[in-house]
Amino acid sequence: MNRVRALLALAGVAAAAYGGLLLADDSWGDLVGVASWLVSGVVLHDLVLAPVVVVVLVVGARRLPETWRGPTAGALVVLGSVTLLAIPVLGRFGARPDNPTLLDRPYVAGWALIAVVTVLVTVATIVVRTRRLRRAAAPGTGSPASR
Amino acid sequence: MNRLRPPQESDFTSRLRSAAVTARVGLWLGVCFGICFVTGLVSHWSQLALPPVPVPTSPSWGYRVTQGLHVITGTAAIPLLLVKLWSVYPKLFERPPRGSSRRLLVHGAERLSIGVLVAAAIFQLATGLANASQWYPWDFSFRSTHYAVAWVAIGALVLHVAVKLPVIRRALLADVEDEALDRPSLAPASHGLSRRGLLRATWAAVGVAVVATAGNTVTWLRDVSVLAVRSGEGPQGVPINKSAVAARVTDLARDPAYRLTVAYGVRSVELTRDELLALEQAAEELPIACVEGWSASGTWTGVRVRDLLALVGAPTDSDVEVTSLQPSGPFRVTTLPANFAADDRTLLALGLAGEPLDIDHGYPCRIIAPNRPGVLQTKWVQRLEVLT
Repeated sequence: MNRVRALLALAGVAAAAYGGLLLADDSWGDLVGVASWLVSGVVLHDLVLAPVVVVVLVVGARRLPETWRGPTAGALVVLGSVTLLAIPVLGRFGARPDNPTLLDRPYVAGWALIAVVTVLVTVATIVVRTRRLRRAAAPGTGSPASR
Repeated sequence: MNRLRPPQESDFTSRLRSAAVTARVGLWLGVCFGICFVTGLVSHWSQLALPPVPVPTSPSWGYRVTQGLHVITGTAAIPLLLVKLWSVYPKLFERPPRGSSRRLLVHGAERLSIGVLVAAAIFQLATGLANASQWYPWDFSFRSTHYAVAWVAIGALVLHVAVKLPVIRRALLADVEDEALDRPSLAPASHGLSRRGLLRATWAAVGVAVVATAGNTVTWLRDVSVLAVRSGEGPQGVPINKSAVAARVTDLARDPAYRLTVAYGVRSVELTRDELLALEQAAEELPIACVEGWSASGTWTGVRVRDLLALVGAPTDSDVEVTSLQPSGPFRVTTLPANFAADDRTLLALGLAGEPLDIDHGYPCRIIAPNRPGVLQTKWVQRLEVLT
């Protein structure tokens, strides 16, 4: 096992070093651009996105009833990540007047559709859970949880 | 009042930030990165004039599948990476070990490798996502950089797996709610999201991301892929990547003096579009599959490239240099490898879907070959030169 790990580690370092060598072929100006993109990705995640998620979760945990928290957090995972990956099409940054076949869908409507479906599924989950919990809490209803 | 201080690892008490979650999401993230890397290599080699492994001409839908997979798994990796990074975020605030300088060095090396991995992973997904929508908010070359950083990402990933292998094994073999691998500061289970719930939400996010975008290349998903970069519509039923206006060829392509030159050494012939139409015509159903991950199939008609090369007496095993009318651009001159030039299905297309080729599809004529990236299906062809 340790020999396999050592070989894997070695292969990994070699591949990464090869990538570094390929990058070294770039001009100085290109390298600065690549480096700034590499660093800003980490900074945007670690210092902006992750703290925002922490704040949202803390506020959610304080404000939302217990049975709402799980499904709402799940909805946040779906809608948050899908929204993030929809940024290029929502902003239509690559659109060109000479090419009507590119970015040719109503993206805001598409995103709204995903949002509505996510909210509906979440609400349905909350309703089902709340009922189940109530039934379990009520005595004499014969549900297995109350016995 | 509490004094403001930087967060510590122990401040993060969610039960969901556990190796049990990280390993499960990480497994699928690793699978996606692996597929992305291999299909990316295929794409990179397909675009080289002299690939280290010769690219076959069959199956004709090969590049359509590999590049479609490349973009689909890359898109699927976005929710996976977000959840995985969330699950290990407390590690960012881990204190370096005290005591021996050797332990400190190992700790520093591991953090450095993680930093490289995270930077490369975010870079690949962000630039790939932007490129798929033809958005280039950078000055560097996308293709060579995405390729170089892919090696960095996969290397750092393999190293990371090697380092974490014992933890990954224990986490995957134990139940997801098992607490043996957890940090001691985690809170007890509550009515909030369970680990299973978080995993289910993550798989759901991956599913939505894939279904919402895969219609770019999976035809039967077109109607539900509301976030796909293309609807699949276009002149003669095929979308376009670069228009005649963008390539600045409109006047050159419509010029009545247009002639196609086929050259082999000192021998050459010049043909008008009508003369090309008078040669034996062939029809082939072939896909246009672009590096951006979209693809569409069309029925192309035109002259077999093989037959054109025979006009100048060229041998069938030579590479062919294809030159476009477009005045500039990295793909103005491309090389059609010998096996593609010799293939029966490789056409100098003059028509699409039963009509004369639309100017945005390459009028007066374009190359269409099986199993090739779209950028190499040269449009507005003015010259075919057999390389000796």
